Amino acid sequence: MQNKVLCFNVIRRKINEDKMNEEKKQEALENIELIKELVLQTKKHIGHYGGGWICFIWGIFSFTGVAGQRLLIPHGPLIGVWWIALAVVAGFATYLVTRRFTKNQPVKAQQDYMRYFLRFWIPLMLLGYTLATFIALLPSLSNHYISIVMLLVVSTGYLIIGFLFYRWILYMGFIGYIGSIICAVYFLQYNDIILGVLFGTGLIITGLFINKQWKNT
Amino acid sequence: MEEHIAIKLNKAIHQKARLGIMSILMASKQVDFNYLKDRLKLTDGNLSSHLSLLEKEKYIKIKKKFVKKKPKTLCQMSDKGRQAFKEYLENLEKIIRSTP
Repeated sequence: MQNKVLCFNVIRRKINEDKMNEEKKQEALENIELIKELVLQTKKHIGHYGGGWICFIWGIFSFTGVAGQRLLIPHGPLIGVWWIALAVVAGFATYLVTRRFTKNQPVKAQQDYMRYFLRFWIPLMLLGYTLATFIALLPSLSNHYISIVMLLVVSTGYLIIGFLFYRWILYMGFIGYIGSIICAVYFLQYNDIILGVLFGTGLIITGLFINKQWKNT
Repeated sequence: MEEHIAIKLNKAIHQKARLGIMSILMASKQVDFNYLKDRLKLTDGNLSSHLSLLEKEKYIKIKKKFVKKKPKTLCQMSDKGRQAFKEYLENLEKIIRSTP
């Protein structure tokens, strides 16, 4: 009888131990799940600066720019002014998007993003503005080359960002370079339309891709 | 008798809110008070007490500064905190592995 009670107690202790271990395991699993989720969400918040929307803005910039350029062809020098004004508007819209998306970040990283933005794009924008000003001031320069030059400038920016941060952006840079060479050699008359559509569509597709990727993170 | 691995779990971290704070700080360089409050759905007082405990253990560093004349509390994980969190995770893994 005594042996039976002893045996019963041993089994009961074993069952309790197993139950406790199972509870601890469950708790550990829940904690790991919580950690994973919080780490992932925080990284997601940090990584989002509105890149997709910025691509949309510059895609629309590309389409609007080319359309305006076509309309302004009879007024030659105005084309340069048009591109500069449009780039200022697009630049300001980019700033607003970055500011909006970095507002809810762990620590406002907007200064960091703006710093990166300025470091990469301002020198290239200056180059673009200077070239556009030349075209505006020197009527002897052909308007046909405006879009090719602008595209080369932007493609260079994409290549820099692609090599430094996001490899997939390299494709945009290469497409821009190859497209501008082909258009300059074979389709000079229609280069602005072809390149504008090519680049604008590329940017909008990139924007969709970035936004989708961010949602799936 | 060998002590159960669960006993080795760091008590300063092994609490849902503090675990949340440490997880968020692991993923980001610096986090402000309001961000933690929103993410973890805690009240000001509750979050403050958890942060104080973690600061007392030297797991986090708290900086206070003024941004546009408004006070801002910034939290950052210390090296000691990073190490403690890593050990805590290892212990959690051991618990999971020890049970069939």
